This record gives sequence, structure tokens and C-alpha cells, in this order.
Amino acid sequence: MTWLIVTFLPYDETKNLPLYTFSTISRIGITLVVSVAWGVSFGILAATNKWASLILTPVIDLLQSIPILGYFPMVIGFLFALGPLGIELSVMVLLFTSMAWAIFFGVIGAIRGIPTNVAESSRSFGLTGWRYIRHVILPAITPAVVSGANLAWCDGWFFMIAAEYIQYRGDVISPPSGGLGFLLARAAYEYRDMTLAAVLLIFITFIVVYFNTLTWHRLIDRVSTGTYKPVIRIDLSGVGKLGVAKASIWIHFGRLHWPKSFSIASQRLRRYTRVEKIVAIILVASTIFFILYNVFGQIPTIANIQGGFNRPPAEELVYLPVFIVLTMGRLAIAYGISLTVAISMGVLAAEHKRFATIFFPLYDIGQGVPILALFPVLSLGLNQIIGDQRIALEITCIIMLVLDMIWYMFLNIVSAVKNIPTEINEVSQLLGFKGVKRITHIVIPSILPAIVTGSILSWGTGWNTIIFAEYLPSTSSGIPPTSIPGIGSLLDKAGYEYGNTVILIFMLGIIAAIVLLMEGLVWRRLLRKFEKYHVEV
Amino acid sequence: MSVLEVEHVTKTFANNNTKMLAVDDVNFSVRKDEFMCLVGPSGCGKSTLLRIIAGLEKLDFGRILFQGQPIDKPTPKIAMVFQLFGLLPWKTALENVEVPLEVLGVPKENRVHIAEEYLRMVGLDGFEKTYPHDLSGGMKQRVGIARALALKPEVLLMDEPFSSLDELTAKTLRELVLNIWQNPALPTNTFIMVSHNVEEAVFMADRVIVMSPRPGKVIGEIRVNVPRPRSQYLRDKEYFRYVDEVIELLEKGKAIIKDKSPLSLTAKRSSKF
Repeated sequence: MTWLIVTFLPYDETKNLPLYTFSTISRIGITLVVSVAWGVSFGILAATNKWASLILTPVIDLLQSIPILGYFPMVIGFLFALGPLGIELSVMVLLFTSMAWAIFFGVIGAIRGIPTNVAESSRSFGLTGWRYIRHVILPAITPAVVSGANLAWCDGWFFMIAAEYIQYRGDVISPPSGGLGFLLARAAYEYRDMTLAAVLLIFITFIVVYFNTLTWHRLIDRVSTGTYKPVIRIDLSGVGKLGVAKASIWIHFGRLHWPKSFSIASQRLRRYTRVEKIVAIILVASTIFFILYNVFGQIPTIANIQGGFNRPPAEELVYLPVFIVLTMGRLAIAYGISLTVAISMGVLAAEHKRFATIFFPLYDIGQGVPILALFPVLSLGLNQIIGDQRIALEITCIIMLVLDMIWYMFLNIVSAVKNIPTEINEVSQLLGFKGVKRITHIVIPSILPAIVTGSILSWGTGWNTIIFAEYLPSTSSGIPPTSIPGIGSLLDKAGYEYGNTVILIFMLGIIAAIVLLMEGLVWRRLLRKFEKYHVEV
Repeated sequence: MSVLEVEHVTKTFANNNTKMLAVDDVNFSVRKDEFMCLVGPSGCGKSTLLRIIAGLEKLDFGRILFQGQPIDKPTPKIAMVFQLFGLLPWKTALENVEVPLEVLGVPKENRVHIAEEYLRMVGLDGFEKTYPHDLSGGMKQRVGIARALALKPEVLLMDEPFSSLDELTAKTLRELVLNIWQNPALPTNTFIMVSHNVEEAVFMADRVIVMSPRPGKVIGEIRVNVPRPRSQYLRDKEYFRYVDEVIELLEKGKAIIKDKSPLSLTAKRSSKF
């Protein structure tokens, strides 16, 4: 395949494809090792030490919800000064910011999931301190670490295209040793070569799927069978193994069993005490202060902040309400589409075995496509078909959002459908529910909690994606960036084009405020309302 | 001679601003070589009390004396058998028995030897290399018992050890536990068992302490004077007299709560007339 690309396409960079492949794989690999080391040590610390947990958990939860772009100022401020090595490092730091959380939260979830009788008996037989870690914690978290690492690996590929093609103040900064993400971005943005981009996308998908089926499945199978089963149950027979790996972060949060994701999400929403919230606010405030301090090289004064609000793209801030409405509209359309499709697919798959056997393998391969990498390819393709760049981008944006959001919806719904207890099914048979009645009286109510959970997760990931999806970056060959109006694109402009940190942080604050507002006003209420529908299996 | 003394033990659980008195001023002592059983309905604090004795739970008031010394953390002299076995799923039967010995600093060959010996004693030879996942419930509890005994404790605590097993298995294991208790070659001769099964308690114990729920209080104790081995007396009037006595005490415990509850029928009637 490599040979095919090298021979057929007349670009210089494509000759370096083996090198690029190698450098991307090793970049993600190295970051993975660092993430595992960090996630395991900090996860154990946060799960076993009350004080560490008080500080670490809310801070890390907040940090992980900041999109990759939010880390730009800090990373650039520190590392670009180091030259080529610094650029390589900053790519890895950016990858780390998207990869490490899965492992961290997986470890915490697994430790919290150790059954009381195991923990108590260990304590009563004198297993404390390091002995407890060695004999109880480490074996208990192994499956979580492996599937968390798999998830991190997938996330790494997902964000690679953003991390290897960094835009900063109008310049494109790419890692000296190149990379597949860089090549794909260049093919799509600069050469506008649809064929090359599509081939590269297939190539990347192939690599991801290859590693997933060969390495990760075996590892996961190994750690989750036989001896480990009673404590840590990861249901691999579910939607598809790739799917499970990607979703496992939510699973690990609670009791390591994914039908429970509903209770997990509600736990997540209710988790923080007032003290923790205050600690988190203080720490985040000081982090922002620290970032500002580094960017400006001095203590941020009111004059600095005012200066930030006077520089472009400040003039666009007037349209902020419009932007919010536009962005929310895009998210809502995408959510509506994903909801409808996911529910109908989920119900179909549950009701018709034959449909499921055709659908699940297709769905599995679909998992392997790094959605972010699809972005340049899609927008380029649509642009060539439609001819208007903005309309093309608008459609691309919604497709991206749908592809991203539908995933969580579908995963939750299918697992819920599969976990409708046999008794309920038997009751519905005895009462003679069939067809539409069965769906409205039995299937839909029993998956409602899963729909709420899926919605929360999919809106979360939607906000993350919209930051990329409203903005098509410029190229080093001088083609100006294209964007559609919205908060995501405004944030990108502030970050990519003008390097205006004040507005960047302001926009992140606005997004955070909207997310929190929706959580409080919509999701919490729905969660509470449908909690009683949840059937404990 | 009493090995263990429970003096004025009180324990409160705080949960969402509401405080629940789980164990309220409990006093008793356990003599050497005695088989004592704590009986009560669920939620009467008997398991909490056992956990306090094991050093797993801190008490709010009172103290536990073991051979005259106060204890507040787990000690190898007092071992425990758990209702849900508490085995480490990633360790084989043999390794599960070995782990506490490793904590005590027993060298490797020695502890393998000891663990094998105790597994043989509970009838598990041939299953040393098996993981808990592949053992039946009864076998898991055998491992749990072997693990506790391997420490050569003086007191063995058992928290509803047979209640997650089927009746046939439970019966076999009761005999096994009684044999261990009566075996003079073993240093472990003082047993405290928590149970909600009255017949099981009367069958096994020298003395049954009955507790009432919310708050957990001792409402009476019964000395069981049925000669051992008791399996031959299981159909005797004598045996059922003890069972009835315990049940009567339990009913009395229930009545106490009813009187206190504002919703109970008796309370309503008394306020009306």
C-alpha cells in the first residue's frame, strides 16, 4: 500500500511516507507510555489519598474538558523556544492533553470498583501501604489501564491531525520529522488533492484498525478473561470491541460495567462537594493567571486585558449572541440527526438479528476512522462538488458533529437495548405487546436513561468538535482560512490568526458557561426524572 | 477466663446529615474456647460490631480488650472469615492463603508449605493452583477459612460465613468449622460468628447473643446446653426449645421498635386512649 502511494502520487513528501508513518506511530507510542505512567501514578494517588483526590480530581476533570486548542498558549510559550526538539515536544504535549485522561479516570474507577469484601479482607490480613498497592490495586487496575491505554491510543490518532499541523499567528508549524497527520492536512489544505487525502485517510484508518485488532484486542482479552472476571467485567461481546475500548472511559468511572453508564453519568454530575468546587475554581483561576503571566511575560494587568479586548478579533465580539445561536443551532441539528438515527438503528438492531449481523461489523470499521482526519477530506470534497466554500464548510461541520455525536448515542442505546432484562421481555410477550406497541411501551422507556446519558456525552464531545469544525485553517501557500460564523470559529480566529490569548480564554469561558448551564438546566433534571426507569441488572 | 471483652461499644454512622446509631452501648465478654454467636435481624449492627472487633471499623465510644489490651487495628491474633469470601481474584487459592503470611514475614518456602497444609485441612488439596473464579462458593469459603487459620489466630471472627452458600454446602461447612473449633491441635479455639439463621446459631454456639435493630442493642443471651456433637439432637425438643427462646427474644426486639415508631398501630392506639 505504501508502495502504491509513493509511486502514484507526484509529491515530494509522499516519498517520506514510511518515515512519516514511523514518526507518527512512535510519537503516539511515546506519549502513550508517558500517559500510562502519569495516569497510573496520579490515579492511584487520587483514589487512595483523600487530600490528593480533593485537589486532583476536579482539576483534572476540568482540564480534560478544555479542548486541545486551549492548551496552545502555554505549550507554545514554553516549548517553541527550544527549536525543532521543542516543536516535537509540544506536539507530544498536545497529544498528551488528549490521551492521558482516559487512563487516569480508568484507574480511579477501577480502584473505586474494588469490592468492599476484597478491600476489607485485605486490610484485615494486614495488607496496607505498598503491599496493598502491589497485591490489590495493581492487579485490580490492570484491565482498566489496558483499555484506557487503548482508548488513549485511539484518541491520539484522533487528535494527531490537530497536533501535527499547528497554526500559530498565520504560520503553519509542523514537526521536523513530519507525520501522517501533517501529510494529510497538507494534502487537503494546501495541495487540495482529494485523491491523495482520501488514500491517506484510508491508510490511517487501516493502521488504526490493524493495531486495534492485532494488539489491543489480544491485550484486552488477556487481561479481562478468566481470573480477573469476578471483579472487573468489561463486556467485550457488546457493540464491537473497538467501540467498547473507546467508550470505556465512561464505563470505568463507576463499577466497570457499561450498562451502568447511566448511574455513572449521574454520579459524575453530582460528584463534587462544595469544597471541591471551590478548590477547583481557585486552581483553575490560578492556572489561567499562570498562562496569562507566561504569555505576557508579566502579571496581567487590567490594561493587558483591555488591550486584548481591543485587538482583533475583538470587533466580532459584538455578534457574540448571534454566534452562540448559530453554533447552538448547528449542535442542535446534529444532535437531532444523531438522536433519530441512533434510536432507529439501535431499536432495529435490537429487534432484528439479521440487521444486527450486517450492521455491527460495518459500524466496527467505522469506529476506526479518525473523524478529525475526515474533516479536511470532507470539506475539500464537498467544496469541489458544491463550489461554495462556506456552504461546503457548513455541511462538513454538521456531518462532523453527527459522526462524532452519534457514536455515544448509539453505544449507550445499544447497550441499554441489549440489557433489557429477560423478565421484562417475557412480561411483554405474555401481555402480547408486538411491533409498534412493544417499541413504545417496552423498548423506548427502558432505553430512556441511556438516551439521556448518551445525550450528555454526545453534547460534550460536540462542543469539543465544533472548535475544529467551524474553521478551515489557512495554508502556508497563502490560501486564506475559511470559516463559518460561530463561537468555535471565533475562538479559532483568536487562537490561530491573531494569537489573542485574552479573547481565546474569554471564549473558552463562554463555552464552559454554556456547557455548565445546559448541565444544570437540562441534563440534571432529565437524569433525575428518568432515574427510576433504570433497571439494575 | 475471657479472651475478648466488649465494653460500652457505641458506633454512629453519619449519612447526609442524618446520624444513625448503629451499635448502642454493647457489652459482653467471650471466654477462651467458647463458640459465641451474634444473632439479629438485618441492620441490627451485628456485622458492624464484628468489624469493630476486627479493627476494621473505628468505634465512637467504649473499647475492645483482647487479652486485657485495647485494640483498634487489625491484628493477626484475630482473623476473619467474610460472607462474600474476600478472596483476591488475581491470586490462586494457594497464593490467597499465602498473602497474609507474607505480610507477617514468613519466608517463601515456609509459607507455601503452611498454605498447602491448611488447604489440605479444609479439603482443597488439588485446587492449589485454581483461581477463585473457577471455584464454587463453598470452595471459596474453604479458602477463606484456610487463609484465616493459617495465621494461627486465637480468635476467629465469622461474618455470616454460610449465608451466601446453598444449604447442603453450608451444612458440610458448619461441620468443618465445628471440627476445627474442637481440634486441640489448632491454636484457634475461640470463635465469634454473626448469623441471622437462628437454627444455625443454636446448632453451633455455646452461647447466643441476641441483638435488636436501630439502634443495635443486646437484648438477651441464651446459653445452649445441648451436648455435642449436636447433629444427633437436631430433632429433639430440647434443641427446639432453644430455637424458640431465641426467636422469642427476636420478636421482643421487634416489639420494642414498634412501640417507638410514631406510625405503629400500638403507638397510635395508646395515644388515642
